[in-house]
Amino acid sequence: MRLGFLVDLSRCMGCMACAVACKAENDVPLHSWRLRVKYIDQGEFPDVKRHFVPLRCNHCENAPCERICPVSALHYLPNGIVNVDHDRCIGCASCMMACPYNAIYLDPITNSADKCTYCAHRIEVGMMPACVVACPTHANIFGDLDDPESEISKYLKNHRDVMVRKPELNTRPKHFYVRGSTVALDPLASERPEGYAIFTEVKFLDHIGGH
Amino acid sequence: MIGAEVTFDVALPKVIWGWLVSTNMWAKSIATGTFLLGLYFIKRYPEQDNFFRKWIPILGIIFIGITLLVTVLDLHHMFRFWKIFFHPHFTSAVTLGAWVVSAFVIVLLISFWSWATGNKKLFDRIMIPGFILAFFSTIYTAGIMGEATAREVWVFPAEMISMLFSAMIAGSAAYLIVDAVYGNVLQEKIRRELGYILFGSAGLEAAMFIGELFFAKMHSEFSYRVVEILAFGEVAPFFWIGLVFTFIIPMILVGIANEYRKYRYAWLASIFALIGLWLIKHAWLIAPQSLPLS
Repeated sequence: MRLGFLVDLSRCMGCMACAVACKAENDVPLHSWRLRVKYIDQGEFPDVKRHFVPLRCNHCENAPCERICPVSALHYLPNGIVNVDHDRCIGCASCMMACPYNAIYLDPITNSADKCTYCAHRIEVGMMPACVVACPTHANIFGDLDDPESEISKYLKNHRDVMVRKPELNTRPKHFYVRGSTVALDPLASERPEGYAIFTEVKFLDHIGGH
Repeated sequence: MIGAEVTFDVALPKVIWGWLVSTNMWAKSIATGTFLLGLYFIKRYPEQDNFFRKWIPILGIIFIGITLLVTVLDLHHMFRFWKIFFHPHFTSAVTLGAWVVSAFVIVLLISFWSWATGNKKLFDRIMIPGFILAFFSTIYTAGIMGEATAREVWVFPAEMISMLFSAMIAGSAAYLIVDAVYGNVLQEKIRRELGYILFGSAGLEAAMFIGELFFAKMHSEFSYRVVEILAFGEVAPFFWIGLVFTFIIPMILVGIANEYRKYRYAWLASIFALIGLWLIKHAWLIAPQSLPLS
């Protein structure tokens, strides 16, 4: 079994239901995000377009975070999920330096690394990830990439415009986007003017040295 | 349709590894550089080996101590540091580094004991393992940077060579400072050779940095933008002052010192080199963290 995710960006309407469901399900603290939706505006009036891009851990088959973690706090589950053991984490932040998708954060309450686990605790009891359930347009498609009859496998087979983020890094992500674009998926393809963030000031627990 | 702007996103923390990690790399360069160069001078000039047998452990223990202190302080769970030894993950350069540096600390403690008791044979027996451990202690951070896939500008072989040059710069500078502070106790030929090592390693490392700026093939837009940040961004003062302090000023001053036998200039060059080394390492560490990854 290889669990994977696919987001059909033509269906996403940026409602943030997935982000809110993720926060509630996983008790994600303020200032931290396992899943977020970025808005990108492209063009000049009247020829404009808005892209919505849900961003979460890509659960790479060749995960840099798993490789660099000195204590195996980040590890693979048999179903392909890259899981995190909070009690094992020493808080060195190497995983944050290694992840090319900015998908890992240091939880300001537990001081341990954390990230999207595809809701591994729900999958274990046969439930879908919270973000999949909450999505009103079924933009999030989740399933077993090894099962040719799964919805995600059929989706991947039937669409030719499948993209992953930063394929050149050979991380082999198991998180796909359909009907995406460079502007949507490449963070350097868009400008970031001042004030784009929801919270302009990020507060973390006091630590020595820039965390 | 032209232009694209992010109009809505969450705020994300920017700098993950800050000055503690810069200090780690800087202090480690001094500890391992003095060890590697010390071994060389003991073998080459056995008539003055007492100087190096004394200062190898003293400088090594002080600066590897600083390295370990800032490493542990930088952990968000510093009291779980022991897990690196009891739950090690050996694909991680962090784990390999922790193990190698720990073994290097043992070598330094033995060398201290050897100096304190006057037992030269004891130190002679650990020279080869000490050399290997000092070498790998120098380069393991390059492995960590290489494994930091997100920061594409850090490439393992180049980082490794750069760190070896840094160790040579730091080691020679540290010995020149100690020599000056203790009233020029070293023979002139040793002092001159330390100057040449500082001059040569500064020149070679400068070539690597300048090559990265002007001649390197940029593998990605990320790398290109990092170089822009280094040259013109918020870390540019660290980078340019570091470049001048670490490479240009020491090369000029050491050149004057060795040419005109005015060795106080070598001492001054060493001070500049050690200050500059921290600045340039800090710039190199921070710049790739200044760009959005998602």
